[in-house]
Amino acid sequence: MNRRSLLAAPAALALATLPRGLAAQEKPTLAFVVNVSADFWTIARRGIEKANREHPDYNMEMIVPGQASAAEQRRIVDALLARKVAGIAISAINPGNSTDMLNRAAEQCVLFTTDSDAPKSNRVVYIGTDNVAAGREAGKQMMRALPNGGKAMLFVGTMDADNARERVQGIREALQGSKIEIVDIRTDESDIARAKRNVEDTLARYSDINLLTGLWAYNTPQIYQAVKAAGAESKVKIVGFDEDALTLRGIADGTILSTVVQQPYEFGYQSMVGMIKVLKGDRGFIPESKQIIIPTRIIDSSNVKEFQGHMRELLRGA
Amino acid sequence: MSKKELGLAVLLIVIGGFTAILNPLFLSSVNLLNMANLIGLFGVFSIGQGLIIITGGIDLSVGSMFALLGVILVDLLVNYELPWPLAVLIIIGAGTTLGLLHGLLVTRLRLQPFVVTLCGLLIYRGIARYYTADSTMGFGYAGDIDTITWLASGRSFGIPNPFLFLVVVAAVMGVVLHRTVFGRYLYAVGRNDEAARHSGINADAVITGAYLLGGGLAGLATVLLVFYTSSVSPSSFGNFYELYAIAAAVLGGCSLRGGEGSILGIVLGTVLLQILQNLVNILGIPSSLNFAVMGGVILLGVIADQQLGRRKQKAQLQRSQALAAAE
Amino acid sequence: MQPLLELTGIGKTYPGVRALDGVSLHLDRGEVLGLIGENGAGKSTLMKILGGVVPPSEGRIRIGGMEYPHLGVATATRAGLAFVHQELNLFDNLDVAANILFGREPLRGGPLRLLDRRAAHERVRPILARLGADFSPDTPVAELSIAQRQLVEIARALAAEARIIILDEPTSSLTLSETARLLTLVKELRAAGVGLIYITHRLGEIVDCADRVVCLRDGRLVGALRREEIEHAAMIRLMIGRELRALYTPPAQPPGEGGLEAAGLVTGAFPGRALDLHIRPGEILGMAGLVGAGRTSLARTLFGIDPPLAGTIRLDGRPLAIRSPKDAVAAGIYLVPEDRKRAGLVLEMPIVENVTLASAPNYARMGLMHRAAEWKASETQRAGLRIKAPSSATRANTLSGGNQQKVVLGKWLSMAPRVILFDEPTRGIDVGAKGEIYGLMRALADRGVAILMISSDMEEVLGVSDRIVVMHEGRISGGLERAGFSEQAVLRLAIGHGEPARAEAAQA
Repeated sequence: MNRRSLLAAPAALALATLPRGLAAQEKPTLAFVVNVSADFWTIARRGIEKANREHPDYNMEMIVPGQASAAEQRRIVDALLARKVAGIAISAINPGNSTDMLNRAAEQCVLFTTDSDAPKSNRVVYIGTDNVAAGREAGKQMMRALPNGGKAMLFVGTMDADNARERVQGIREALQGSKIEIVDIRTDESDIARAKRNVEDTLARYSDINLLTGLWAYNTPQIYQAVKAAGAESKVKIVGFDEDALTLRGIADGTILSTVVQQPYEFGYQSMVGMIKVLKGDRGFIPESKQIIIPTRIIDSSNVKEFQGHMRELLRGA
Repeated sequence: MSKKELGLAVLLIVIGGFTAILNPLFLSSVNLLNMANLIGLFGVFSIGQGLIIITGGIDLSVGSMFALLGVILVDLLVNYELPWPLAVLIIIGAGTTLGLLHGLLVTRLRLQPFVVTLCGLLIYRGIARYYTADSTMGFGYAGDIDTITWLASGRSFGIPNPFLFLVVVAAVMGVVLHRTVFGRYLYAVGRNDEAARHSGINADAVITGAYLLGGGLAGLATVLLVFYTSSVSPSSFGNFYELYAIAAAVLGGCSLRGGEGSILGIVLGTVLLQILQNLVNILGIPSSLNFAVMGGVILLGVIADQQLGRRKQKAQLQRSQALAAAE
Repeated sequence: MQPLLELTGIGKTYPGVRALDGVSLHLDRGEVLGLIGENGAGKSTLMKILGGVVPPSEGRIRIGGMEYPHLGVATATRAGLAFVHQELNLFDNLDVAANILFGREPLRGGPLRLLDRRAAHERVRPILARLGADFSPDTPVAELSIAQRQLVEIARALAAEARIIILDEPTSSLTLSETARLLTLVKELRAAGVGLIYITHRLGEIVDCADRVVCLRDGRLVGALRREEIEHAAMIRLMIGRELRALYTPPAQPPGEGGLEAAGLVTGAFPGRALDLHIRPGEILGMAGLVGAGRTSLARTLFGIDPPLAGTIRLDGRPLAIRSPKDAVAAGIYLVPEDRKRAGLVLEMPIVENVTLASAPNYARMGLMHRAAEWKASETQRAGLRIKAPSSATRANTLSGGNQQKVVLGKWLSMAPRVILFDEPTRGIDVGAKGEIYGLMRALADRGVAILMISSDMEEVLGVSDRIVVMHEGRISGGLERAGFSEQAVLRLAIGHGEPARAEAAQA
């Protein structure tokens, strides 16, 4: 387990309010602003730590908002700009309507988007997953689970998040023409207990459901637990996203067919290294599309043991 | 059973009946058992909330308390590998201690309960997030926790254990509230602490006692909730749960002015809330309408209760006036 | 001459209750009309109709010759009606001037409609002077005593230049000297041509100032008295429909030894003053004094609510440490507080739970309440005190003031009283019930209970007590034996006239 030093929080507070000249260190700061606290970002943090080891002349930090709201994120970005940070990589919560805030940031520092893109803003580049493509990958897995078709239910926190919409879009594209029917999408407003009850209620109501798909990291473990508790492992197949420990355990014991994982480690590492390159004037690595897509991987019974070991290492190691 | 509780029970049956007609699966044993499980989870801490509301106070901090105590529980079991009975005792003790702290701040320093527990809400959430460096804690790689997992989230005789916990808690608290001297004092202090003090009652001790019990029940609820989800995300675990508890207590007949409410009412309020959430899924109402359905029914329930209460009061007033006039 | 106010055949029906029935009365310019009647007789309904708060079910209202079919609050005010309420309707968070001129604030700044505070103060100052108020227009109301607030209410009516002023129990919280001043003011207003309706339970005030008296009973006008007919017995007869027996009942036996003795007691209200007090078992000790003389603080200190700063308390010769009401209750010292709705009762609880509130552990076995025993104790009190209620399950807030007071008494009588401190025991209670309370106090004294009765009602102090002590500014300024009782003697002590050095205070 990793705990920030006791001094970090007050220090961050102090930095946020002090003009740059008074700040203790003259090292340029690169900030990585995420949307919500999750293991996913803990992995990204390892990538950032690796980048920092390679570039010790930079001060790198990850900032997690207290509330997963666009307003909270905006407050954080404003504070960072007031500190005159050199670069920000951000997973914007509501990119469509945050263009102003992002553009203001882009004027004052190097701005990358990560995890969720804001193509309308003046960001230098997006480094992250193509969620539509990830959705298509999941769709393929769903067809693999039900080669002869069937009924599927999707579970997600909220549908107003871009990544949720894009993943659903990708899934629908992939399923086009197949015999798999998406019965409905259940949302839980990020309440984990409700995520579980949504699965329980689905199993109770639809006796003919064959496939459950969790779109957000915590959805798949809750599906796994509810299915186990209901004893429905043989009846329903599960396809998920992301690499929660329980998800991986489910794959290992055969309850979950597969999960589509992103590579947050690369988000963190490449964002930091990329921002340093831009600061040094090297923009050659940026493609025409201004999007660096980190491909997703499929984890299933064939590679889960090795992946579990890898994850354990990442989450434990500091 | 008072008229109030009877009314709530009728409302429950009507709503349940409608849902069952629209989709008979509502009454399937799988669905009923699922609901019983959730009723158990939410009922335990709603009763604690109800006790505090009866003193005229409120506890906004329970949701954050779940996050803080939840991450500590996981940490104790997974990283410190404490035997589970000890870990559970520590969590319930910690909840009780926090409750005691709230009670002392309210009675000794005369701070408003809303303010004290609002600060608790912010502080505990913050500490939980700091403690875990914002990462989700789970039992992913944990060792031997099968017994406690079964106890907190398994079933006995086919009935979910959290529901059985609720039955026990409700029975004990029902006796405490409705049969003991302490319960009587709780109502008296909630209604009129001045008159209670003038009757030689140590009102401060009574109020502190309610917060203490509320904290202890929140500790117990933490254990049940953590094993329901098997993971605790410090920034979202238990968010808004204090409001579910307040809603259940208010639906169940507690007045935020204090001095009113019953354990049966609070349990029925919890049942109604859970049925409402369940029927959204069972009837295929868009998930997004979940909160709106809940809010609408609570509002209707409170309005109906208010009207009934006014009538009853009027009738009683007329009766005693008629009697006074007759003599 | 055209009457200032004329009501004809006013009736009001609430669902199931006939609150007023065919009430007709008139009020002339320069007249004080006394309105009497027991609680629940319909006085407040009549006042609500006059104030435009509720519409009458039938009847006509004419003010200054104009008929008002729909009298609203605003129309009533415009027609020149003003109220001085028993329950104070003031804004604690505003100053005196703002309260007096509420709704009529002088403005400046044209369209900006800014409040002109200076003009407001200028306008209020002469009114306060006329009332003899000892506070200034910019004093926050929160800092005023109840009596001073009452003056603000009256000033509000004066500021509105009302033609008709209705005083509803205006003296219920005033001291003797303040009451005297108010009565002078009433006479002044009458001389200035204002018509006044004076509602009170204190019949002495009616005798003092009313030109005419009308009495309501059960919603009907049951009689009127001309100036020369106004006297206590006649009014009481009208109010309760029968004669009331004499106030004073002598004790069955002379007072015993022991009781409650306080020596050198210093209360928080007057940190510099020590006092000695002895309440003997078997006697009713009356305690008079001006409001603010420290009587209530003394009772609160003896009951353990406010800890004493110094001094000793002995009960039957044994020293007693009273740190909280709990200690006092355990020793058998009980308080029947001044504000029974706030401190005496839990209004929403049934009679039974109020009666056993202070003694709940006595009805519990292993912490569990024994409901049947509780019910029996409460029914005993209900019967013994003749509490008018269908059963012990009746909630206290549906009872009349007198019956509520009996429930407070029942709470203490169900236990083992040694000393009972009554603070204004009959405030707001109607005449019939007052007599019952006095009877109960006497019966208690005869059982050997030591009784202290704090009262601002002169008739009560003189009529009920076996002995009187008077407080002045935190001290006992003197005592009177029954033979020496007189209004004059009490008043002189109350304004501190025991000492020559305080002669000038007597003139105030």
